Amino acid sequence: MHALDWIIVVVYLAYVGIDGIRRTRRSTEIEGYLLANRSLPWWAVGLSVMATQLSAVTMIGTTAQGATDGLRFIQFYFGLPLAMVIIGVTLVPFLHGAKVYTAYEYLERRFDAKTRSLTAFLFLISRGMSCGTILAAPGVVFASVFGWPIGLTVAIMGAPTVLYTVMGGVQAVTWADVKQMVLVVTAIAAVITVALLKLPVSPDDALRIAGSVGRLRALDFHFDLTQQYTFWSGVIGGTFLMMSYFGTDQSQVQRFLTAKSVDEARSSLLISAYWKIPLQAAVLLVGVLVFVFYLFEKPPMLFNPAHDRRAREAEPARYQALAAQYGAALADRDAAARGIAAHDAAATRDAFRAAETRVEGVRTEALALAERVTGEPSKDVNYIIPHFVLFDLPVGLTGIFIAAVMAAAMSAVAAELNSLATASVIDFYRRWVRPVAPDAEYLRASKVATALWGIFACVIATYAVSLGSLIEVVNRFGSFFYGSILGVFLLAMIPKARALGAFVGLIAGMLAVGAVNFGRPDVAFLWHNVIGAVTVVVVGLAISSLSRRAVVASR
Amino acid sequence: MTSPRESPAPATPTFRKTLIRVMAVQVGAVLLLWLLQSHYTP
Repeated sequence: MHALDWIIVVVYLAYVGIDGIRRTRRSTEIEGYLLANRSLPWWAVGLSVMATQLSAVTMIGTTAQGATDGLRFIQFYFGLPLAMVIIGVTLVPFLHGAKVYTAYEYLERRFDAKTRSLTAFLFLISRGMSCGTILAAPGVVFASVFGWPIGLTVAIMGAPTVLYTVMGGVQAVTWADVKQMVLVVTAIAAVITVALLKLPVSPDDALRIAGSVGRLRALDFHFDLTQQYTFWSGVIGGTFLMMSYFGTDQSQVQRFLTAKSVDEARSSLLISAYWKIPLQAAVLLVGVLVFVFYLFEKPPMLFNPAHDRRAREAEPARYQALAAQYGAALADRDAAARGIAAHDAAATRDAFRAAETRVEGVRTEALALAERVTGEPSKDVNYIIPHFVLFDLPVGLTGIFIAAVMAAAMSAVAAELNSLATASVIDFYRRWVRPVAPDAEYLRASKVATALWGIFACVIATYAVSLGSLIEVVNRFGSFFYGSILGVFLLAMIPKARALGAFVGLIAGMLAVGAVNFGRPDVAFLWHNVIGAVTVVVVGLAISSLSRRAVVASR
Repeated sequence: MTSPRESPAPATPTFRKTLIRVMAVQVGAVLLLWLLQSHYTP
C-alpha cells in the first residue's frame, strides 16, 4: 500500500480517537454518558442507527456476495422499511416515553424482574460474542493481506474504539458514527465511480454481461421456506427480524433513546427506512462491478494471499498446472464477455456462461488444493474486495476504503460496547447489586464495564479462528431467541398479557425455534423469527388467560 | 407493573404522511430492481 494510503488510515484512526476523547466533558453523569441526556438531533441518531448496523462484514462480505451471487441478498432488507414504520408507531413511544435506559428495564415495569433479567442476559451473551466476530472479520482479512499477526490488526481497530467509547460514552459513539457513515458512503460512491471508469465496456454493456450470468437477479417471488433469500422471506421473515433487531436489541434501542423526543426518535428510524435498501443495493453493486472488472483484468487464482503462497510453495507442479488452465479459461472468458458487448445474442451469452463455468471449475480445484495444504477452510470470497482495493484502486482511494472498512467495524463495535455496558450496569449492577448508589458510582461502573467488554471483544476476535465452532454455536443459539424476544415486547403491548405468560411464552418461543432448527434444518433462518415471535404471543396469551382464570377461581 | 395504556402520543398526522412516503419510496425501489432484472437478465 502507498504511503499516502497509510497516512489516510493513520490520520483517520487518530482523529476518531481524539474526537471521542474531546467529548468526555459532556458525559459527566450517568444519563449523559449512557443516553446523552436524551438531547441528540434525529439526523445524528439516524446515521448512528445505520452505522451500527453497517459493519466491516458489509464492506467486505456483502460486496463479495454481490461479486459471486449478485443482487439477490437485497431481499433480506425488504422487511426493514415496514419494520421501521411499525416500530415507530409501537415500540418507540413505549420505550422512549417510559424514560428507561434499556429496553429490558421496560419489561420489568410491564411484567416482572425475571423476564427482564432473562432477556438482558440473552442480549449480553449474544452481543458479547458478536462484538468479537465483528472485529474478527476484518482482522482476519487484514492479517492475511498485510501479513501481520491477527492480534495486531484487532488491536489497531479495537484500541481506539474502546478508548473513545470508554471516555466519551454514547456522545462519542454517536458523533463518531456520523463521521464513519459519511466516510463509508463516500468510499462506496467513489469505488462505484472508479470501477465504471476503469471498465473497457460501457455501463450498459457491463450490466448486460453481469445480467447474462444472473448477477442482476434481485427478486425471487417463489414461496419456498427452504430458500434463504426470496421476496417473501425478506418481506415477512425480514420484517420480524428487523423489528426484533431495531425495536428490542439494546444496541439499536439505545440509539433512539438518545433522541430529544418521540417524534425525533421516529424520524431517526426513518432515515434507515428510506436509505437502507438503496445503500445495500449500492454495496452489492460494488461487488457486481468488481465481478465485471475482473472479466477484463486478470484476477488471482486464489484471492487469499497467504493461502496462495502456501499452495504455490507446497505443491508447485500442481499449482503451476492449475495456473496454466486458469490463464486459458480467463482468456476465453474475456473474449466471450467482449463478444456480449459487441453482439448480445443467445449464442454469445451461452459462450460466456460456459467460459465462466470453466473459470469457476479451475478455481474450485485451486481452493481444494489450498484447503489440503493449509488444513484451513479455503473459501476466499472475503478477499475479493480487499484485493481489488489494494491493487486496482488509485492511490488515496485505497486508503479511504481501508479506513472505511475499519470505520464500519469500529462504529458497529462501539455501539455494541456502549449497549453491553448499559445493560450490564442498569439491568444487573443497579438492579441486583447496588440499587441505591451515587450517580458517580454508576458512571464509574459503566466505564469499567465498557472497558471490560472491549477487552473481551478483542480477545474473542484474536482467537476467533480457533473459537470458530464456539462462535457458530453462540450465533446459532442467538437466532433461537431473536424472534422470541420480539414476541415478549409484542405481548407487553397487549393489555391482557401477564408476567407469567410472558416468561413461559419466551421459553416456549425459544424451544419452538430450537425444535424447527434441529427438526427441519432446511427452513431458512429468516422464518425462525416469525415462528419465535408468533409462538411467544400465542403461548403468552394462553398462559395469561389461564392464570387470570386461576386467580378468579381462587377468589 | 405498568399498563401498556400508559404509553404516550399516538402517531401524528405528519408522521403518518411520512410513513406513506417511506412505503412509496420502497415500492419504487423494488420496481426499479425488477426493471433492472427484467431488462438485463435473459
